[in-house]
Amino acid sequence: MAGMFSAANLSAEPAQSNLAPGYSPLTFNAPTVASYSLPIIDKAADGEVLTTAKQLVHLHELMGDKIVLLSFIYSTCSDVNGCPLATMVFHKIKRHLQNEPELAGKLRLLTLSFNPEHDTPEAMREYAQSFISDKVDWQFLTTQSEQKLQPILDQYQQSIQKVYDEKGEFTGTFSHILRVYLIDTDKQVRNIYSVSFLHADTLINDVKTLLSEAHTQKPTVVSADNALFQAGDNKQNYAQLGYQTQSIALNQRQGKAADLYANTQQLPLGLPPLPVPQNNLITADKIALGRKLFYDRRLSLNNTFSCAMCHIPEQGFSSNEMATAVGIEGRSVRRNSPTIYNIAYATMLFHDGRENSLEQQVWAPLLAHNEMANPSIGYVVDKIKSLADYEGLFEKSFAKEPDMLNIGQAIASYERSLNSANSAFDQWFFANKSDAVSDAVKQGYQVFTGKAGCSHCHTLDKGFALFTDNQLHNTGIGYRESMHKEPEKQTVQVAPGVFIEVDSQDLSVISETKANDLGRYEITQDPQDRWKYKTPSLRNIALTAPYMHNGSLSSLEEVIRFYNQGGVGNETLDPLIKPLNLTETEMGELVAFLHALTGSNVSELVADAYAAPVGN
Amino acid sequence: MNTKKSINSWQTLLKACAFTVSSLLISAPIQADETCQSPYMAKIVGQEDFVYVWTLGMEGLGDEQDKLVTVDVNPKSKNYGKVINSLSVGGRNEAHHSGFTDDRKYLWAGGLDTNKIFIFDVHTDPAKPKLTKVIKDFVSKSGGVVGPHTTYALPGRMMITGLSNNKDHGGRTAMVEYSNKGEHIVTHWTPTDGDLRGAVKTGSYADGYGYDVRVLPRRNAMFSSSFTGWSNYMMDFGKMLGDGEAMKRFGNTVVQWDLHARQPKKIFDVPGAPLEIRCAWNPNHNYCFTTTALTSKIWLIYEDDKGQWQSKAVADIGDPSKIPLPVDISIQSDDQMLWVNTFMDGKTRGFDISDPFNPKQVFEQKIGKQVNMVSSSWDGKRLYYSSSLLSNWDKKGADNEQYLKLFSWDGKKLTEKFSIDFIKEKLGRAHQMRFGAYSLYASKSPEKPVGLLAKLNP
Repeated sequence: MAGMFSAANLSAEPAQSNLAPGYSPLTFNAPTVASYSLPIIDKAADGEVLTTAKQLVHLHELMGDKIVLLSFIYSTCSDVNGCPLATMVFHKIKRHLQNEPELAGKLRLLTLSFNPEHDTPEAMREYAQSFISDKVDWQFLTTQSEQKLQPILDQYQQSIQKVYDEKGEFTGTFSHILRVYLIDTDKQVRNIYSVSFLHADTLINDVKTLLSEAHTQKPTVVSADNALFQAGDNKQNYAQLGYQTQSIALNQRQGKAADLYANTQQLPLGLPPLPVPQNNLITADKIALGRKLFYDRRLSLNNTFSCAMCHIPEQGFSSNEMATAVGIEGRSVRRNSPTIYNIAYATMLFHDGRENSLEQQVWAPLLAHNEMANPSIGYVVDKIKSLADYEGLFEKSFAKEPDMLNIGQAIASYERSLNSANSAFDQWFFANKSDAVSDAVKQGYQVFTGKAGCSHCHTLDKGFALFTDNQLHNTGIGYRESMHKEPEKQTVQVAPGVFIEVDSQDLSVISETKANDLGRYEITQDPQDRWKYKTPSLRNIALTAPYMHNGSLSSLEEVIRFYNQGGVGNETLDPLIKPLNLTETEMGELVAFLHALTGSNVSELVADAYAAPVGN
Repeated sequence: MNTKKSINSWQTLLKACAFTVSSLLISAPIQADETCQSPYMAKIVGQEDFVYVWTLGMEGLGDEQDKLVTVDVNPKSKNYGKVINSLSVGGRNEAHHSGFTDDRKYLWAGGLDTNKIFIFDVHTDPAKPKLTKVIKDFVSKSGGVVGPHTTYALPGRMMITGLSNNKDHGGRTAMVEYSNKGEHIVTHWTPTDGDLRGAVKTGSYADGYGYDVRVLPRRNAMFSSSFTGWSNYMMDFGKMLGDGEAMKRFGNTVVQWDLHARQPKKIFDVPGAPLEIRCAWNPNHNYCFTTTALTSKIWLIYEDDKGQWQSKAVADIGDPSKIPLPVDISIQSDDQMLWVNTFMDGKTRGFDISDPFNPKQVFEQKIGKQVNMVSSSWDGKRLYYSSSLLSNWDKKGADNEQYLKLFSWDGKKLTEKFSIDFIKEKLGRAHQMRFGAYSLYASKSPEKPVGLLAKLNP
């Protein structure tokens, strides 16, 4: 039954160190009164007890008007670190209270026996004799019977166990866990002490801390700093020994709902009209519903994966923290999570462009074994129907209960609202504000559209720019991964600024076989399409590292160097990919240009995402 | 008027207790899994009867789901070295660590992926644990903590360390307190630069990550270590090591907390993912050890002569340039020896820590193709080893040995006593081991208890 603290039949020299801390002066400075809080652990249970005056009272009658310290003992207990410790600590508290009459008036000590058979009211009166004081409210209690006692012990989870001798006779001793309970005036348990934690000084401080509670409500200060709408930490200098964290607290990750519908009606500068399918016109209700679905981790087989676990708002609605994604149960996904900023404009979806509408696309990750792993469409539909917090929402948005079509439509509607532009570049280029960008950005634009030829694929149009031709190209990134021999050594970073060269052979034993990736070819089966991947938009590109379909390039600088060297040569390399002979300055200007493509409403959209409910 | 009298009577009471005081002491040498437990609970100081192995379900093997496996380990039993019970809990939850409540009546076992906490009654019939409660709303109740890891007993409640969060599946996380009844009490976020929560950033890092927790009540100190978020601990190990971005997301900190106030005091730089924390037992030994998984070092967290806590790297583990990957550690309760397992080479290493500032490796033996946990009996004579680290970090193919092995330790050598092949038995990946004994729950004992019980007051 109970965990026992009874004596072992071992002998050794007694030592001071084996007395519980409660017998000695506190060996550390107790935390200052009211500098900490004591959370509510449980409700303090009630029960019928007997006073030394044989009066039958309810425990709750002895609570509420004062803070209570409640201790369970039995009077014949001889375990020095057991009941006598509790009584000794109460005794010390009593002596302290005699000097603090005001505090004394606010505290009641209760010593309750768990041996009603022996500890009658008379026995308790005798036990109490040397402890009671007219200045301190210390009451000694017992119960009428073990039947009356048991529910109290159960409620307080006070484990006791009678100890029997070899003949099966009760020895009069109990093995038990020593527990003392701190109970506030709302009859709630606020602390529990056992042998290593029971000390008069800390108990008194806890009582005073409860008494001062009303005065110590600390408001949470949340700064509206835009830096808060970024990934949890800035790992830019992690390769250096001098790296310092700049981590953001999760409690700072607080947002504010935005008018997303307006963001589909008044589009930010630089975007063309929003393509919306006729059978799924956008409404505020659909966006709100789609947003709720997007952040709902329950939309996966084991309730751990929402769309947002890979499309993380503050990480550019992609994932900065890994090259290629992982799905449910940590299953490997071959490709980098693409951003969903401005996804409404994509005519092809997925890196290989295999899907043609958002409404359809959303079902692929929901059902993929290595993403959200839902076993069937019907499973998802039924699950949503079973969740109380979705009650009426589909009916409100679609005048229908959830089904395959409208689940896709709702999520697609939310995604179509994540339009982001009106960047510094847009201000300069489309609104003709010449001071909106630096000269480096302007130079970068010249390189982008001129010498480097980036805009052949990352196109600009009249009056708007999506920076994508919505086509697929082979840059050699995919070819390299499929065809190049694995190097014998691999560099692994083990700490800030600390790298280790490891034999690839040694890693093979802990690596699953990597899935191959042939890009567009997998869809068309045309050898000319090997390793072709979709041209991504460059809007908000500074937010979506690492880059390329496999996340193999960690920074924009690396990407530009990759193109400057002419990609990686192979049979079907896109003819546009060739050595560019850019200078360091030109490459720097390109980076500056790309950084100028971050939309002006990113903080607003991320803050909105923070405000979205997360289904767990 | 009463004061003097009551003091006298108190002294009498104390005197009367003198016999009991001595009988409470445990004579040296004592060694310590029992030393990896919360020190403030009943201990099995004699022969344990059972080992409970929190086992991960494996796709394609047996019933594929997580289970609590009970192994009979009493040499006097006819079932010695055999699996006597297996309790499947449904799903693969990334079963990981487990811990008893302070009254040792219940075993709490966490799932790092699904965030469920399974509570087993181990006292009604220690040979046949019963699943009595499953906490399924840990994430929402805790305010977004993911990856319940260590379940550590405090008086009347459990301190549960998180590894991640439900926002970005990264490493920022918290410790979460639950009452023994299974109700959420409070969440303590690990300090970050954005909210240091009163802590001092002693070095360069305040990552907000978490892993293990240990406490030293006599010094009012609590320590937490730091691993990595869901994205990494669930990722294929090889894929992760090859992913430069992922490798930037490991913890580099140990945090010292005010135990009573539950407030972070100091953040130490301990680079390279400090994992398990084990504190010394001797009341005068105010220090704890941790080992860094990636940088392969033993770190000492100690209180200096000015009463200030400090951190120091004190030894290398194997050849750090080979990333041996130190995983579980176990301290003997005489504070003389620290067992350190290294996953990659499957070895257990004994370090002489009599001088905690200069640990010296004095023993080394290969346990299997991979090894993770080590649990020691109270007397230090029996060491149990298990194989699984994380489902997607375990070795693949033939190297994926899954086992529970018992070795005896005579001070000089380890001798294998039994080995259970968890693949052959169709069980899964063997992870954490906790001990059970009839002696803890005397009234249920079918025979005379062979275990002796005591408590320590470190």
